[in-house]
Amino acid sequence: MGRKRQSRQWTLVWTGAALAAVVAVALAGTGTALAARTKIVWQVHWTDFQIDGIYQGDQLVARGLRQWVEEYERTHPDIDIELQSIPMEEYLNRLIVAQAAGTGPDIISVLNTWGPQLVYDGVLEPVPADLVADVRNQYIPVAVEGATVDGQIWGIPFEVGNYALVYNKKHLQEAGFSGPPRTWDELVQMGAKLTRRAADGTVERYGFAFLAGWESAVVHPYLGLLWSLGGDFLAPDLSRATFNGPEGLAALEAELQLFRSGATDVSASVWEFPQGRVSMMIMASWYESSLKQAFGSEYEATVGVAPIPAINGKSVNAAYSWWLGVNAQSRVKKEAWDFIRWFTAQTLPDGTTRMGTYQAENIGSIPPRKGDLAGHPEQLDDLYTRVFVQELANAHHEPNVLQGAEIKTILWHEIVEAWHGRKTPKQALDDAASKIDDILREFYG
Amino acid sequence: MAGYLFLSPAILFYLVFLLFPVGLSVYISFTNWNMLAPLERARWVGFSNYTYLLTRDDMFIASLKNTLVYALGTVFIGMAIALGVALLINNVRGSALWRFLIFAPVVTPAIAVGRIWGGIYHPSQGYLNQLLRAVGLPPQQWLSSAELALPSIMATAIWAGVGATVIVFIAGLRNIPAQYYEAARIDGARPWHEFWHITLPLLRPTVLFLSVTGLISAWQVFDLVYSMALGGTESGTTPARAVMVVALYLYTTAFRSLRAGRATAGALILFVIIFGLTLILLRVLRRGGLEAYE
Repeated sequence: MGRKRQSRQWTLVWTGAALAAVVAVALAGTGTALAARTKIVWQVHWTDFQIDGIYQGDQLVARGLRQWVEEYERTHPDIDIELQSIPMEEYLNRLIVAQAAGTGPDIISVLNTWGPQLVYDGVLEPVPADLVADVRNQYIPVAVEGATVDGQIWGIPFEVGNYALVYNKKHLQEAGFSGPPRTWDELVQMGAKLTRRAADGTVERYGFAFLAGWESAVVHPYLGLLWSLGGDFLAPDLSRATFNGPEGLAALEAELQLFRSGATDVSASVWEFPQGRVSMMIMASWYESSLKQAFGSEYEATVGVAPIPAINGKSVNAAYSWWLGVNAQSRVKKEAWDFIRWFTAQTLPDGTTRMGTYQAENIGSIPPRKGDLAGHPEQLDDLYTRVFVQELANAHHEPNVLQGAEIKTILWHEIVEAWHGRKTPKQALDDAASKIDDILREFYG
Repeated sequence: MAGYLFLSPAILFYLVFLLFPVGLSVYISFTNWNMLAPLERARWVGFSNYTYLLTRDDMFIASLKNTLVYALGTVFIGMAIALGVALLINNVRGSALWRFLIFAPVVTPAIAVGRIWGGIYHPSQGYLNQLLRAVGLPPQQWLSSAELALPSIMATAIWAGVGATVIVFIAGLRNIPAQYYEAARIDGARPWHEFWHITLPLLRPTVLFLSVTGLISAWQVFDLVYSMALGGTESGTTPARAVMVVALYLYTTAFRSLRAGRATAGALILFVIIFGLTLILLRVLRRGGLEAYE
């Protein structure tokens, strides 16, 4: 009896050991298989259809980022790319926290405003020489400028944004206007005439609405006016703010004309353009898909786009950009650059890149590579985007400066104070310049 | 020794999760750290974050003023309304239904509340201006006017939070022994006398609890202001200086302006203010309740 029990115990021990060995071998095998695949984490600010692709029914009509990544993984079986989609307003926060924890992504989407700080703090890895040459030779100047910090290119431009006048054709026709305003004075006059009020004075439809709500929204249109008047935002050596000179004052006064004439007020919102409650606005290129969705079959009959009305004989608009950078903390920098090269620099037979196709066919944004701009006429020469592409020639890129977001936030708040009449334009601009001078002294003094 | 051993997990917990973070925060507040570079590379700047905030940064000063107005307004006006509602529904038929209806907004996310009230306050389409027009009054720019935006947000906060206060007041009212009222009535007291001499004094601990917790929470308001007045809403543009609150200021300073050192200094100033206000409240309202009658 005792021997039988002992024998059973040994059987159990041996069985357990054999199972453990099998599990260990299996795990080791899995480990080997996993270790063979190199994982690249790519954090993007795109969401929804931009990631998953655009479908009509079950038919994929425009690839999302996921399908491009899957193609790369198919052709590079040793690479595994993890896409992390983060809303734009949370992107920098999440990046900061991840960097501090040592878990930052391998590929980073960089807004030019953040760029100098990421470079200064060693977050970004220098771009390989072949890609630097590619950017310098193949990209439009405003995009090259956007990806440049202290004379060096720190990323691959993938999106450039600028501004134009977007208007409601039907409203203009109803009011007897044959076309959009060409000068700022015309804009002010037309805006006032397009505004409709109820008997009690409530505005039912605004002739014009300013984009507001975050720093670039307010500062970029102001900078366009400032530059077109011959002024500048900051001194070239970044030693002081220069926007509070006569040109900057005239630019803010020009905006205030729209408030004084009754063309707009502080309750006007560009988000009401799709409901037909705004006739004209200065807008960026990314609003296209929302307008198409809102107006549906009436889109082409309703939406018009024109250059920002000239204030001094010529129209200048502000530009900003996004670029792809590689994290200096990454353990797979070479693999990350290889993927970026495949996606943004390797040209297809028609001269376009995969990134350009993705931008033009899916996102509807303006690709900054010359070959991509020329290679997607159907998407980039349409009703909405055509003017934005043309206006790139008149675009000035905002300066890449340390604390760029803080500097723009200060100016944003002060411009809005002037819109509300809580400060004179001179007082608002001087107050902003004084604080911005402090920042420039701290970082460039 | 055995006692300390038993206490050691708790002591360790407080050291790791309370004292260390507080100490580190104090250190960070004296640096120019931006969270992107390692903390070791942060430059020691002495008191300059504090002096900048208190003497140079009008947005921070505005945020302190706005938050003080918001906190005092929402807490004390909210408590007055809640006490009135609690007295009304405490003994009426179907009080459970009333309590549910009044409590419902409390469990609604602040962003949703902000969205709903953003629509109600809309200058041309909102119900509030439609109501004003219907009674012959001029419509208002509730959220885009620098003067009205903060009071409008406060009104929303009171609406959204009054239910929780009502429930606490009802609990407090039900703890008051009925014999006090019976004795008072025998002595000829009127309802107003009962409220003033019995109800209110015996609710003092409840008022203290609601004041302290309400003020602490009101000083940290963030989401409602963000969703209703900042961020380019359909109701227009509000000047940030008119609605900026401290928590929002700290968030934007740390994560948008990349000045974690300055934001931490601001957070510590906020802590001192909340601590001071709480001490004052405790001193003023400490005595009361049933023991005041002993």
